[in-house]
Amino acid sequence: MSTLLNSLTTELRRGTLTLAVLSQLKTPQYGYSLVQRLEKSGITIDQSTLYPLLRRLEKQELVTSSWDTSESRPRKYYSLSDYGEEIYIQLKQEWKKTSQELYILLKGEEEDGAD
Amino acid sequence: MELIELYIQEVTRRLPEKSREDIALELHSTIEDMLPKDYNEQDVKEVLVKLGDPITLASGYRDRPMHLIGPRYYDVYISLLKMIFPIAAVISLIAIIGDNAFGEFGEKTVIEGIAIMIGQGIAGIVSTGIQVFFWLTVLFAIFERLDTSKDQSPLTKDLKPWTPENLKDIPNISKKKAIPKVEIFASLLGLSVFAALYFNAANLLGVYENRNDSLIFVTPTFNQGVLNSYWLLVSGVVIVGGLLAIYKLFLRRWTMKLALFHALYQLFSTLTFIVIISNPHLLNPEFIAYQKTLFSIDEWSTSIYWGIIFIAIFFAAYDSYQGFRKAKIR
Repeated sequence: MSTLLNSLTTELRRGTLTLAVLSQLKTPQYGYSLVQRLEKSGITIDQSTLYPLLRRLEKQELVTSSWDTSESRPRKYYSLSDYGEEIYIQLKQEWKKTSQELYILLKGEEEDGAD
Repeated sequence: MELIELYIQEVTRRLPEKSREDIALELHSTIEDMLPKDYNEQDVKEVLVKLGDPITLASGYRDRPMHLIGPRYYDVYISLLKMIFPIAAVISLIAIIGDNAFGEFGEKTVIEGIAIMIGQGIAGIVSTGIQVFFWLTVLFAIFERLDTSKDQSPLTKDLKPWTPENLKDIPNISKKKAIPKVEIFASLLGLSVFAALYFNAANLLGVYENRNDSLIFVTPTFNQGVLNSYWLLVSGVVIVGGLLAIYKLFLRRWTMKLALFHALYQLFSTLTFIVIISNPHLLNPEFIAYQKTLFSIDEWSTSIYWGIIFIAIFFAAYDSYQGFRKAKIR
């Protein structure tokens, strides 16, 4: 893939990352479990982006975190706050709307091309 | 494993003190999660490659910007720089005029005197420019870091977000009405050179003779005592001329008010000039005697006197007229 296409793709995905992460935090997750869940759905995420993103979401009060020290190694669990839940629902609506619009737009363009 | 510790250290040392411990702990458990049960150094390296350059990771954690001046402040910064720089340059030039006009030139010729002034002028402008650039950049870098608002839209000159009302503040200057900056700086340089020559005339202006391949100062043209007796008037001409140039720098175009001010200044400086050259003791007696050995100008002196006055009045009037003409252009 060319460098330009690469950076455009990264840019395109960047905005959706927050939505993807928020969607997986209804149940508490720690960093690596979140990576695995996302990868299972086919979303590859740059790990150097994910961990800082989680902290930023915490600072914005969309998620809360707590340390679990009961297991062999301590893990930091993140989960959606009430405010985060609210924002997530609205953001999901926005995404559905945008992808719908874009889908129609791109489909129309394809049909034009077929003529 | 030592590599893991080193990696975490490389990330956390770039972060604020208070968040270091927590991030280190989290990174540690994350890295261990990513490793298989019995891992070797190769496994660790693979995991660290996935996490990427510690500098990039650290910058992700940090909220502070990684640039000195970002898009929000860049435009205000540049326009302020453009506005302050010429003003600072003018002020430093004026300081140099003041320094030189009353300073000592000693045994220097007029060429050397002017060369010194131009050299000092350029050095002064360069050092002032560096100062302005440095302090303004520091100030804006601090602004950038203190600004906690989420708003990323660029700011205008008055540090507020843009509205269509801002368009009314932009002067629409036509080329014909505009005052070129070069003209303003030339007049400032001219004023400074004039002031320095005037107050050091006894040392700089006069008859030079070429003896043994070097210029020897024979006799000064003017009587410095007479010149100095007009110091108040001449300082007035220089200071008002400087103020007029700064006023032009602000307006950048001819207006009726400026043209009037300009005309009054022309009148004032021409009158000063006539008063000074009308003084019968202006020329140094030795200089007159020296001239007489070369050629006789006695019978011409009256016509030369009136000729000079006529030329001075003509140019002043023409210059004033040009000001009014340009001010009238729509």
